[in-house]
Amino acid sequence: MIGEILAVGMTIAVVAIASAISQGWVGSRAMDAMARQPEAASTIQTSLLLSLAFIEALTLFTFVISVLLWTRI
Amino acid sequence: MGENIKKMGQIVDYLAPYPVFQLGPVTITSTVVNTWIVMGVLFVVLFLATRRLEQLPRGKQHVVELVVEFVWGIAEGLMGRIGRQFLYLTGTLFVFILSLNLAWFIPGLRPPTMDLSTTAAFAVTTIFLVQLIHIKKKGIASYISHFTFPNPLLAPLNLVEEFVRPVSLSLRLYGSIFGEKMVVTILFMLLPFFAPVPAMLLGALLSTIQAFVFTLLTTVYLYIHMHGH
Repeated sequence: MIGEILAVGMTIAVVAIASAISQGWVGSRAMDAMARQPEAASTIQTSLLLSLAFIEALTLFTFVISVLLWTRI
Repeated sequence: MGENIKKMGQIVDYLAPYPVFQLGPVTITSTVVNTWIVMGVLFVVLFLATRRLEQLPRGKQHVVELVVEFVWGIAEGLMGRIGRQFLYLTGTLFVFILSLNLAWFIPGLRPPTMDLSTTAAFAVTTIFLVQLIHIKKKGIASYISHFTFPNPLLAPLNLVEEFVRPVSLSLRLYGSIFGEKMVVTILFMLLPFFAPVPAMLLGALLSTIQAFVFTLLTTVYLYIHMHGH
């Protein structure tokens, strides 16, 4: 019982750590670039949103797996 | 403690779609009915908003032109003038997915994108359409050589990448909307009326971003197919 609950929780927790670190990295680089060249801010903003969505998608795949595990307990 | 976990496990059953009625051999689920209601509201709103189009926009025509210019800006930023012919596909995707994601503003509805069927239908149809557009605009020879681009040995990898695109598109949209709904429902069970509000605000923002990302990715895939890698 404990093992099953732990599995469901750890699945999301570990993936969220990696996703948060990488999204923070991407965001900080984008802000540096936007501060260096404000006239390109719109292009950088579009690319930033695209990158964030890709990284977020990995977390969401794992979330779906975790929900599947949760309903099997 | 086990029964509390099992009680919260019923949330997935609560949020799952349920069949409403049968039309011959096809079961109509609640997701399809929600989609019909959103389609009806969208038809009425857009019909009233584009009644008398004038050269100099006034009033509600501004909003419509805002949306069109937004989608046109995405396509033009990537592809230039030739992006104009794809405005129908990407514009429809953006407006439809945005209204489906925000369908919970109509009381009693749940967003139909909370069901994997809807998002999978969107993704598979879009990717299939991109292949057809490529074949129609540039011919079959260009389509086959598109997969053997750097080296014919890499053709299986290119094929796998092409097949993974609908999977990732559908799961991205499904996961974010379903996850947001589940968080709001759990918060509502714990502390009604106050706790769900920040989650719902975040959910509204996230829904818009997901619709935008779907449209942007479709435009990027169209660009890749029209211009080579």
